[in-house]
Amino acid sequence: MTTSPTEQHATDPDERRDGTSATRYVAGKVGGALVSLVFVVALGFFLFRMIPGDPLVTMTRERPTDPEQLAHLRERLGLDRPVWQQFLDYVAGLLQGDFGTSYMYRRPVGDMIAERVWPTVLLVGTATVLAVLLGLWLGVRAAWRRGGTFDRTQTGIALALWSMPQFWLGLLLLIATQGVFPSRGMTSVDPPDGFAAQALDVAWHLTLPCLTLLLVIYAQYMLVMRSSLLEEMGADYLRTARAKGLRDDLVRRRHAVPNALLPTMTLIFLQFGMVVSGTVTVEAVFSWPGLGLLTYESLRGPDLPVLQGVFVILAGSVIVMNLLADLLYRVVDPRVRAS
Amino acid sequence: MTPLLELQDLGVTYRTADGDLEAVRGVDLTLQPGETLGVAGESGSGKSTVAASVLRLLPKSATVTGTVLLDGQDVGAMRWGTLRAARWSEASVVFQGAMHALNPVRRVGKQIAEPIRLHTDAGESEIDARVRELLGQVDLPAAKARAYPHELSGGQKQRVMIAMALACDPRLVIADEPTTALDVIVQAQVLDLLGTLVEQRGIGLVFITHDLSVLASTCSRIAVMYQGRIVESGDAKEVITAPRHEHTAALAAAFPEVGDPGSRYAPATAEPLPEEGERDPQQPVLLSARDLRVHFRDRTGATVAAVNGVDLDVRRDEIVALVGQSGSGKTTLARTLLGLQRPTSGAVYYDGGPVPVSTSGLRDYRRRVQLVLQDPSSALNPRHTVYESVAEGPRIHRLGGDERDRVVRALEAAELRPAEQYLTRLPHELSGGQRQRVVIAGALALDPNVLVADEPVASLDASVRGEILGLLLRLRRQLGLAGLVITHDLGLAWNVADRVAVMYRGELVEVGAVEQVLLEPRHDYTGALLAALPSAGRDDARHEC
Repeated sequence: MTTSPTEQHATDPDERRDGTSATRYVAGKVGGALVSLVFVVALGFFLFRMIPGDPLVTMTRERPTDPEQLAHLRERLGLDRPVWQQFLDYVAGLLQGDFGTSYMYRRPVGDMIAERVWPTVLLVGTATVLAVLLGLWLGVRAAWRRGGTFDRTQTGIALALWSMPQFWLGLLLLIATQGVFPSRGMTSVDPPDGFAAQALDVAWHLTLPCLTLLLVIYAQYMLVMRSSLLEEMGADYLRTARAKGLRDDLVRRRHAVPNALLPTMTLIFLQFGMVVSGTVTVEAVFSWPGLGLLTYESLRGPDLPVLQGVFVILAGSVIVMNLLADLLYRVVDPRVRAS
Repeated sequence: MTPLLELQDLGVTYRTADGDLEAVRGVDLTLQPGETLGVAGESGSGKSTVAASVLRLLPKSATVTGTVLLDGQDVGAMRWGTLRAARWSEASVVFQGAMHALNPVRRVGKQIAEPIRLHTDAGESEIDARVRELLGQVDLPAAKARAYPHELSGGQKQRVMIAMALACDPRLVIADEPTTALDVIVQAQVLDLLGTLVEQRGIGLVFITHDLSVLASTCSRIAVMYQGRIVESGDAKEVITAPRHEHTAALAAAFPEVGDPGSRYAPATAEPLPEEGERDPQQPVLLSARDLRVHFRDRTGATVAAVNGVDLDVRRDEIVALVGQSGSGKTTLARTLLGLQRPTSGAVYYDGGPVPVSTSGLRDYRRRVQLVLQDPSSALNPRHTVYESVAEGPRIHRLGGDERDRVVRALEAAELRPAEQYLTRLPHELSGGQRQRVVIAGALALDPNVLVADEPVASLDASVRGEILGLLLRLRRQLGLAGLVITHDLGLAWNVADRVAVMYRGELVEVGAVEQVLLEPRHDYTGALLAALPSAGRDDARHEC
């Protein structure tokens, strides 16, 4: 038997060429992410200039200030200069890692963010990981027995929780738990000694805010996984797997779920942005000392440098997550590597 | 001797929203070891349901009556564990459409190894060796075990499916349309391979297909299914050469033998064809390509010449068949002719002048040169009624006159009569053939001079195939349309075309009258294409007549 002309075309991919195409792919994605980041910086700057309210009025509310002092303050903060000039200064500062100085606290914004970022990472990270695990598990189960009792009740519950405002759910949980869990802060006023005890203390405080976030967001992972798996359920390769004599749960675990996970993965990373923005309300309700609470407090100023800084950090993290998703997708899905 | 497979009064009923659907009724079949049984039928005839019932792979909505005896054991009475153990080790399946039947994100070697790991307690090194051996048996290099399905060509994937089916040394292999969607040359290789395996290993093979000519060269016995029943069965040659049931005759006629004068200009159609009138061979050239070249860059940056210096003329009142394997550049050539792809060099001429490049000029050109796609189900918007689908073109091109009148005329021309009855229907309410007629009507509504049809019957059933081809012939004769039919099917060219252009690796290696090219091929590649055609064994019968 001879190989036909068409089959000769489908020779093994050349390793070296594969390498260059991988570099090109990564370079393209990183370039795209950088462009987005530039837009975020510009948008963040001009967007917060549109907030009504003069920061100077808030800063001097309790003290009688004469016009001369006011003008002096305005000059010191650089607010007397044209907006585009302020923007250039801001960008020049950012390039050197300087986020500016808070109007309200007179402290470098960079330091303030550094202090507040870890509580948020802890809260969002824990809630996201748990929500993804819970959501994917429920989604797989619901799809495999589509239309069954489990599917109908679980989908209903998830949707109900998804449509609930976060602050409302947070308050309900506070009331329902009757003070079993602390209602505010990340640590006790009087933290215990020892690392283990302190960790337990933080976990104790984390429970309610984390649960609130988790309950609201797990629905999206569940529904995406469910529909993605449903799409795969009719696939021919599953029939092949059954014909081979595989048990039902092996067919699901080995063949259906890995394929269904691919589109789900992108969405998990995309929705990370929504989770991050959702922390503003949760942190405000539970006085969790993270970036969300910082944003909430700064809005009253408005403390423009802090708002801009947090905005850039949050938006930047979403961009980085999407970049990660793109790169990871290439590793996980052999078909993306080919195109 | 216990037969390998015995179906006794098998019936399968699907529960659907519109009531029960009897897919299979009273089917009796027997297969002895070392025997090849062909099951032929159109889509919906129940042949794939029969295949699925052997390993109890039917969906939950199916109710099975009668008995399936696999090597003397009643499959229907097996417990789940026994059934799972029997699956693949007793009987395996080469599924239709290897493209989708393989898991896209697992390496093919792993997929071949999976049943071995499941049904035997072989160690890792043994399994590796076995996978290599299996790949060797289907003429694939062992290195392909590390490939993902998308990295393989259609023929290679089909071989992987066959290797997988043989993994556990089953005594019965069920091949469900194993060569559909493959090129003639690849199809010949796959058929050859299956034949060799049956011979060497004494396995039983059930070969399911809609193409009788494929069965003729591989099977000793054939059963023809129609509407869930076996309407005819017997010796393969007898069934094909002297069909007793009219449906068998229709199936046999749908795939004409190249060189059979009886099917020249005569696709199997119920409507009579108009007399082939006196034709003026010097009709004006409507569409032509001069030294046309289209180059692409692949992902590595290397230049690939998809179309490499093509000269082609299509005259008025003439059908030209463009034949070649997939990957030969047929579709790129067609896209370039239609102005959908800009040529790298060379030019396309229409009615004597070069095809315009301006947007409005190109739009007018596209109205004159219409495209009919392969799969009518995806070419039609599922939410548009027939009327909307056909009227869309005239609306885009702002053709004057009464729109309804235009649509009705186009439908009548595409032989959907009475047209009024079809106007409000949605695509899913139509049969495959009717859908393709709607697509053709959509093209005709623009009063084109040239029809370019890309595999117009490849996704249609055998009996519909002849009807659509008949329509193309009638359109050419009645409206004087020029047609360019792109196909891998030489029988189609023999059925309707006046001239054939054979494309191979971007070049037209042979162009000429159908009789000349297909009966006395001058180029080796044309010869190879013709040699790969499954011979239906009708030659003898014809000579006896």
